Amino acid sequence: MEIRPILSALLRNKTGAILVALQVALSLAILANALHIVSERRHVSSRPTGVADEHAVFSIDVRNLMSGGPEQMLATQKREAEVIRAVPGVVAVANVNQIPLSQSGWNNSVAVDRKQVDETAPSSFYFSPDSLVKTWGLKLVEGRDFLPGEYVDVNTNTNDLPHHVIVTKALAEKMWPGVPATGKNMYFGTGEDAIEVRVVGVVERLQTQNAEVTPRGEYASIAPMRRYGDFAGAKYTVRAEPGQRERVIREVEAALRKASPTPIILESTTLDQHRKERYRADMALSWMLVTVSVLLLLITASGIVGMASLWVTQRRKQIGVRRALGARKMDILRYFITENFMITSAGVAGGVLLGVALNQLLVTKLEMARLPLEYLVSGGVIFWLLGVIAVYGPAWRAASISPALATRSA
Amino acid sequence: MFSYYFKLGVRSLRRNPALTALMVLTLAIGVAASVSTLTILHMMSGDPIPQKSERLFVPIFDVAPVDNYNPAEKLRENQVTYPDVMNLLKSGQGVRRTGLYGISAPIEPPRKDLPAFSAQGVAPTRDFFAMFEVPFVRGQAWSAQDDERGADVIVLSRAIAEKLFGEANPVGQRINVMGFPFTIVGVTDKWEPKPRYYKLVGGEQFGDGEEFFIPLGSAIRHETTHNGGMNCSERSDPGFEGKLRSNCTWLQFWFETESAGDRAQLQSYIDSYAAEQRKLGRMKRAAPNRLFNVTEWMQEREVVDKDTRLSAWLAFGFLLLCLVNTIGLLLAKFSVRAAEVGIRRALGASRREIFRQFLIESAVVGLAGGVLGLVLAFGALALIGMQSSEVASLAHMDLTMLAFTFALSVLAAVLAGLLPTWRACQVTPAIQLKSQ
Repeated sequence: MEIRPILSALLRNKTGAILVALQVALSLAILANALHIVSERRHVSSRPTGVADEHAVFSIDVRNLMSGGPEQMLATQKREAEVIRAVPGVVAVANVNQIPLSQSGWNNSVAVDRKQVDETAPSSFYFSPDSLVKTWGLKLVEGRDFLPGEYVDVNTNTNDLPHHVIVTKALAEKMWPGVPATGKNMYFGTGEDAIEVRVVGVVERLQTQNAEVTPRGEYASIAPMRRYGDFAGAKYTVRAEPGQRERVIREVEAALRKASPTPIILESTTLDQHRKERYRADMALSWMLVTVSVLLLLITASGIVGMASLWVTQRRKQIGVRRALGARKMDILRYFITENFMITSAGVAGGVLLGVALNQLLVTKLEMARLPLEYLVSGGVIFWLLGVIAVYGPAWRAASISPALATRSA
Repeated sequence: MFSYYFKLGVRSLRRNPALTALMVLTLAIGVAASVSTLTILHMMSGDPIPQKSERLFVPIFDVAPVDNYNPAEKLRENQVTYPDVMNLLKSGQGVRRTGLYGISAPIEPPRKDLPAFSAQGVAPTRDFFAMFEVPFVRGQAWSAQDDERGADVIVLSRAIAEKLFGEANPVGQRINVMGFPFTIVGVTDKWEPKPRYYKLVGGEQFGDGEEFFIPLGSAIRHETTHNGGMNCSERSDPGFEGKLRSNCTWLQFWFETESAGDRAQLQSYIDSYAAEQRKLGRMKRAAPNRLFNVTEWMQEREVVDKDTRLSAWLAFGFLLLCLVNTIGLLLAKFSVRAAEVGIRRALGASRREIFRQFLIESAVVGLAGGVLGLVLAFGALALIGMQSSEVASLAHMDLTMLAFTFALSVLAAVLAGLLPTWRACQVTPAIQLKSQ
């Protein structure tokens, strides 16, 4: 292929070529980074919570408008759990302090030894007087669920405490790398006041209420306890029969209202809603970036078409002369496509550098992740294809110029 | 000549309609993308109380135990303890002081046809209303005695007052809050600072306004649980009493000083306060005691999140691309007018005149792009606002942004027009005339 003449023609009229190459470079740099962020956010927002069949699970917050003592609050909690359990279509119910992905709840730092200066890890602190392993369908990978005798009811005005705990695999690995965690003692906090608990089991996964993107997102512990006495209300998590969630929510709310002697305020939220809410910003950003990427491709394509059309108009006469001297349509077509390919290649080369630089900026200023090379490579391929497709129209028009007409006028 | 060139520019929009439309559209999309992301950024980082932001201060003390002290670590606390709130309220520093925490309380409407509902509010002291300039439609803030006694008085938001009492004046009426009868002393007008700078810890930073206010003393007396985060570095005694005595931080505190210059004095006061507490066996880490004014506090709390900044950056990258594209298109548009330039030059127009004519023509394209860009930006903001009410409250264009949209669009077009215009000026009249 005659690269030399194309190159020297390009060098004589640089401006347009530089503009197109610059467009390709900018587009590639932005596109690669944007698509990387999109795929990263999609991955983050589809991580499992550890709860089996999330669509069947919901939570309900109950607030009682009664002013009774702690013992009355305890009795109410127990009664409400029974009322919910009796609703047809309820598979399991647990009184619980927080829900994964709900973005509000309890944290408790944990330590391997009470004598250490700093805690080993932060941990999300779940507690329930019912089996969360059963209600949420958590997968035990080690040890066992709590025994009935291990559950304690803790009056917040006393110093009672649980003595057992189930931790996630991620937390167990962080605390005792490579060693089974079951049977080990761990501490909430450090120092003399630290609360000692014994690990009875390890679940494969349970995300924290914030589902952080760091490993911390799976550092969670579950204690077999209920707290009562400081708040006239409770949170319950319910697993409904598959496909019956909406009906069960309605009937649970109606049953609770009916069973309560005093007015109550209810708020039900499905786990799906919590998930949607937790990742709303990520989803919004993804959509914005996808939109920008599509517009980016359209604008770059229009730029290539515009420039190529201009060149075709400018070179009508030369094309006519070449055709008259024996060049085939194919040769003209190939000339324009090769020329465009060369420009795009320069743009892609510049885009790779620019993309890495942009990513570097995002990494240092906004703590984004490093860009894998695949995105730049596949982005480059996209622009090569885009270039060929965009230039094909103008090139075909150039090839269709009739030599007689083009050379006739002045 | 300016208006003549302007008219020529408007006319020339009709020449090469396809090319011109593409140019205007490209500019409009680029401008719309950057303006809509920038609007969010602008609304997020705006000063919510410009007349006072230099005079309002948040104090933060490090109250963690000394045994795990590491001087290099970042700020450990973002709220203050109950004992500190009580001491600082009595300190007499600054012109106003308030301590507050967020609460959620069930409200039983006096009308029996409305069910009980849960409302979100804050429990501050009296100074809160004057400090943050909360407007009242009826009644007023409670008195200093009410603060002292922890009286059961309540200030309602206008929305809640209308929900409960319709158009009637509710001041003096009683409603049941958390199961206790509270007397209504005032109704605030719509007050929704963005961000909710007075309570940046716990809850949405860009949520709607508060639904009600009760005295801090009353909330404490009823042992109302706090609605928000709490940081405990050491174990505390059980029960609400234990929480009040503990070193757990769960309240927020604000000082208002006479002038921004009083900051040094306030700083020296909190330093001496901390030193005094150290003698009593608290704050033993001797970490620096911090003061933040409103802007500093918003930065510390990262009110503008990274994703918003990322969007704005990428949108500007995108605008740059649109700019390069427009340069190319203008180049194409101007290059076919070499003959026209040749004639004008031959008839005596200087290069400077040609330069002006073509640059004004570019600016006209920019104006057209600005108009279309504004329409697109409104559409984009409406789309962005659909994701949640919190974001929707931010996706509003103010006059500054409106003016900025046009300025940006015209500036972009003029910048894009520089190179093509310069090229147009290089036309040699003789050659152009000869080839006719």
